[in-house]
Amino acid sequence: MDKKLFKKSNKIEKITFIFDFIAIAIYISLFLILFGMLELPEIVDGSMNLDILQFMEPTYYFLNATLDKLEMNTIISLVILFTLVSLPLLLINIKKVRTRTIYEIDSYTASSKFVQAVINLLSLNVVSAGLRIYNMFVLVKFVKGYSAKEFFKSIFPAVKAYFKKIFKKKKVEDLGDLDEYSVSIKQSIRRQNTSFIIRILFTYLFLITVAIVIIVPFYWMVLTSLKDFSGATLANPKLYISISQMNWVNYKVVLTALEFGLYIKNTVIVALFSTGGTIITTVLAAYAFARIEFKGREVLFSILIMTMMIPGELYIITNFITVSKNGFGWVGMATGENNYFIAMIIPFVTSISYIFFLRQSFKQIPESLYKAARVDGCSDFKFLTRVMVPIASPTIFTITILNVFSSWNAYIWPRIITGVGGQEGQKYWLISNALRDTAFVQDNGRVMYNLQIAASALVTVPLLVVFFLFRKYIMNGIGRSGTKG
Amino acid sequence: MADFIKNTKKFFAKVKQSIKNFFWNIRRILNNGKRRIGKFLDKHNLNFASKFPGWAKALVYLSPALIVLSIFTFWPIINSFALVVYENYNMTSNTITGYTLFGNFITVITDESFIVPASHTGSSAVINTLIIVFISVPISVLLALFISAALNSIKPLKSFFQTIFFLPYVTNTIAIGLVFAYMFKTDGGLINQLLSFVGVDTAGLSWVESGAVYWRSMFVLIFYSIWASLAFKIMVFLTSIQGIDKQYYQAAAIDATPKGRIFTKITVPLISPMIFYILVTSVIGAFKIYNSIVALFGVTGAPSGVDYNLQSIVMYIYQFIDGSNAGSLSVAAAGSLILFAIILVLTLVQMQVSKKRVHY
Amino acid sequence: MELRLENLTKIFTNKTGAETTAVSELDIVIESGTLVGLLGPSGCGKSTTLFMIAGLEKPTGGKIFFGDDDVTKLAPEKRGIGLVFQNYALYPHMTVYNNILFPLENLDVPRTEAIQRVKEMANLVGIGELLDRKPSQLSGGQQQRVAIARALVKKPRVLLLDEPLSNLDARLRLQMREEIKRIQRETGITTIFVTHDQEEAMSISDKMVVLDFGIEQQYASPQSMYNNPDNIFVAKFLGNPPINTFEAEVKKGHLMINEHKFMKFDVPDGLYDVGMRPENFRATEEGFKIAIKDIFHIGRDTMIHFDFNGSNIRALVDSDNIEKGQKFVHLTIKSERVYIFDKKTGEVVNHG
Ligand SMILES: Nc1ncnc2c1ncn2[C@@H]1O[C@H](COP(=O)(O)OP(=O)(O)OP(=O)(O)O)[C@@H](O)[C@H]1O
Ligand SMILES: [Mg+2]
Repeated sequence: MDKKLFKKSNKIEKITFIFDFIAIAIYISLFLILFGMLELPEIVDGSMNLDILQFMEPTYYFLNATLDKLEMNTIISLVILFTLVSLPLLLINIKKVRTRTIYEIDSYTASSKFVQAVINLLSLNVVSAGLRIYNMFVLVKFVKGYSAKEFFKSIFPAVKAYFKKIFKKKKVEDLGDLDEYSVSIKQSIRRQNTSFIIRILFTYLFLITVAIVIIVPFYWMVLTSLKDFSGATLANPKLYISISQMNWVNYKVVLTALEFGLYIKNTVIVALFSTGGTIITTVLAAYAFARIEFKGREVLFSILIMTMMIPGELYIITNFITVSKNGFGWVGMATGENNYFIAMIIPFVTSISYIFFLRQSFKQIPESLYKAARVDGCSDFKFLTRVMVPIASPTIFTITILNVFSSWNAYIWPRIITGVGGQEGQKYWLISNALRDTAFVQDNGRVMYNLQIAASALVTVPLLVVFFLFRKYIMNGIGRSGTKG
Repeated sequence: MADFIKNTKKFFAKVKQSIKNFFWNIRRILNNGKRRIGKFLDKHNLNFASKFPGWAKALVYLSPALIVLSIFTFWPIINSFALVVYENYNMTSNTITGYTLFGNFITVITDESFIVPASHTGSSAVINTLIIVFISVPISVLLALFISAALNSIKPLKSFFQTIFFLPYVTNTIAIGLVFAYMFKTDGGLINQLLSFVGVDTAGLSWVESGAVYWRSMFVLIFYSIWASLAFKIMVFLTSIQGIDKQYYQAAAIDATPKGRIFTKITVPLISPMIFYILVTSVIGAFKIYNSIVALFGVTGAPSGVDYNLQSIVMYIYQFIDGSNAGSLSVAAAGSLILFAIILVLTLVQMQVSKKRVHY
Repeated sequence: MELRLENLTKIFTNKTGAETTAVSELDIVIESGTLVGLLGPSGCGKSTTLFMIAGLEKPTGGKIFFGDDDVTKLAPEKRGIGLVFQNYALYPHMTVYNNILFPLENLDVPRTEAIQRVKEMANLVGIGELLDRKPSQLSGGQQQRVAIARALVKKPRVLLLDEPLSNLDARLRLQMREEIKRIQRETGITTIFVTHDQEEAMSISDKMVVLDFGIEQQYASPQSMYNNPDNIFVAKFLGNPPINTFEAEVKKGHLMINEHKFMKFDVPDGLYDVGMRPENFRATEEGFKIAIKDIFHIGRDTMIHFDFNGSNIRALVDSDNIEKGQKFVHLTIKSERVYIFDKKTGEVVNHG
């Protein structure tokens, strides 16, 4: 093992990152520029005539080139595709290199570099591809000791040997000179193998079927969101479309004309503040229940647990009174005097089930850590922030995710309180309300399905992005949250 | 070049050090202040902090949560008992005309379309909800069990499948509901198109639009709620199946136990506490079904132009929360107390049953 | 600094009101700069005593003095102690460096000096190269050193170690034992070392305290405690293989064994518990003749089993003095190595 080669490979990897990163930055800014250029129908009397959207034939001028609608669609699709391909590449490698040790390098690492280089090539990132190929040779040298030339020479014999091996295996075994017992063992092994293969086959078949049922709505959503109006209302809808037919302008319409940008902003505000508040209040409360000894602790805690059984609808009725005119006056006042955000955030800045969940993980932190900190002159609060919170951070992360998801899904409470505000209240819709209650219907009675579904996709995609970024943590956290609850 | 890199590295290290020094010094100053105050208080025998009883300290930590909880959780519970005895409570003027002990409950129970099927729709909220609960929960729990057992038995592509099955969890209920409604459209819906591929006559075969019939709409609703709720159950089951000690399986393998029996005699009993927990929570969850119905059929809970509706209990309650009609909030409170009672009874029954059947 | 416990008592009361006396009326003076072993069976109140000295548990009664100061009511962080826990209690999310630095954050120390001290301390305990690791990446012995460094970095007046070696394997234990002794000598810190392993306590301590059920049994240097145990509990607790005890009668100033006169003792007649350590027997030409029940050759020594008044007794004698197939053997024991305990109180009666 040559340490120098390992170091060299790591260095190349780091340089590759820089180029990967530059490439992605280019893709994204290209996307933003092109997306910004997309032309929308004109606004007449304060509203947009969406019917003519699919009949518009704008021409775009970009870098001295003239592009028509189809070419524009193609380019945007490609840019998005490139981003989607190279982003995971970047993220995966960042993680790997930081934890990689000299012992983990094997021929698999080298071949994966090759695959990554091919992906780079597909996304027109020639520099990264070249660097990765170079890195592959360094790794090959590191693992096998071959130089590039020897490597190419060694490929042919290796392939030949592989095929030879396969042919050898196919030779029929001769059972003639075996005694009865061995034959029966041989047969039972064969029977076992067949039943095993059949079982595995059925398992996979079952799983694939379920996976298709799960995936189809997502596929259909993305597909429809890119169709034009007549494509979305065809009696025999197409099951796929070509990349030049992808109307990215739908998303622009949804974001600007239908104001989903605003609703997404509202939702993000509510999600951020309610999550921040929830984390603070629940961490403090869970700490008190887990570590501080006081009279009536168990009683208070069991009261809290019992209220978890009561359905949320019961609260909503009174809370509606509480936030309205006769209560805090956050909603239902004259125009301009309402605090919709406060009314949407404050009731949700704490949660009994999260207190319960957090207390469980706090309780698992050994008492001796607390004692050690006390001896070191660490105050309770400092112990909480410097020791408990970092150790329980997986749980806190899970809570954050759960809470953000539930804000993203909030429908009834925002609907009730923005409902009393009429036009003004509409500006404070969260995305779920907007999705359900925006009129995607034109004056002539047409339902703009493609736009409705594009809005749905727009709401779904951020969640999916968050999910794929933190996939492992989220899935483990959710699994455990169930186990502990 | 190398020099330059070295120098920049040094520079950043220096910056890092001085930032750390800065914070260290701030902490030092703060600690010093604290110490001085502490000394002063000690001297004058004023230091209550060290004599603080536990509950006072606890109160400091608990107060943020408790304040919010008491306003938005405890008070509503108390207040809803007050609301149900009010007659004609008007929330704008904050007035009532009198008290009634059971009046609001009677209004709810005898209301057409709560328990008794309404004459013009032929369906009621309670019946709808019960149908949803008793069909969707068993199917989804069983399906989740099979899927997680299947997942646990494979190696290649396991985390790929796991990720896919988890996707419905990270979606917006309304958004995917709209997609489902679109997929089940009469003309141009994916489902009808697929059905016609296999030779079903789909002309006028409506699911979620005018022309649909009750059971078809119900099918879509149940299908969607199973689709959406599967992810969480699979995750939880898989986590607990993976937590089972391998020795049980090894013992079973040596005894030549067939796979089916291993599943029913080892896997299921060992995770039965989890199954029971999931059963309870998903029954409660299904009782509170709301968002999926709204997504598929709109806030009225009925496809336009049909003579039935798919209102759930929660939906029935929410239609009274608009604050305009006198007395409507009391009816809503009565409805939600009834819902609470149903959930409580079901939970208790399930607990009784589980005591006999769940292996702890 | 001298450490003095006066009448120290701790009684735990649980929710139902039942009381456990963990420590009862402990009276000990620990001289400055010594290492005192606190020894006793599991659950006898060793940790509780330590935690009271540290200030983590409030005593129910009695006082604690550091030098001349009464610190009984002082908060733990103001006592200037270093504490090493049974399971080390390292912060799992911090690196070794941060673990050692953490106590200094709360003291009035400039950062440069703090870093200096962390490095010095790490070198003293021999973990200078491991500063960037997390505790989970360390072996048990290394973790223990980190815990010691963390306790010492504050320059405490007293170092308290709660069974710090209990999680280590035998070889590492021996090594760490010497290490602790070395560090203690180098720093000259007054140290209390808790253990339930008598051999460990004897080898490391300047003086030892033996506790049972929260009650002090004896406080002396290891050798004198071994040779002159105050009572039957201490005698039984120290020594491996353990001391032989059996019931015997003293008649007319003679200890009677197997209905023969064995040895003369100046104690009142009556029934006693008698203790004799296996290694104190000698095989000789004359002496008390016993029938060998069983014999085990273990290298340099030979273990002989025989009956004294119906009890099985073990004697460890030099292998050279025993021949193969021998049925009988003559054994002697020095009279000052025979311990006669009062049957009721367990106190020794033939030693001063
Ligand atoms: N917080 C507590 N509440 C009630 N009883 C306690 C508490 N802490 C300790 N005890 C009891 O006090 C007695 C002494 O406990 P202590 O932890 O001091 O034992 P120890 O000598 O350290 O034992 P070990 O060698 O096992 O660590 C035990 O009987 C124990 O059950
Ligand atoms: Mg202990």
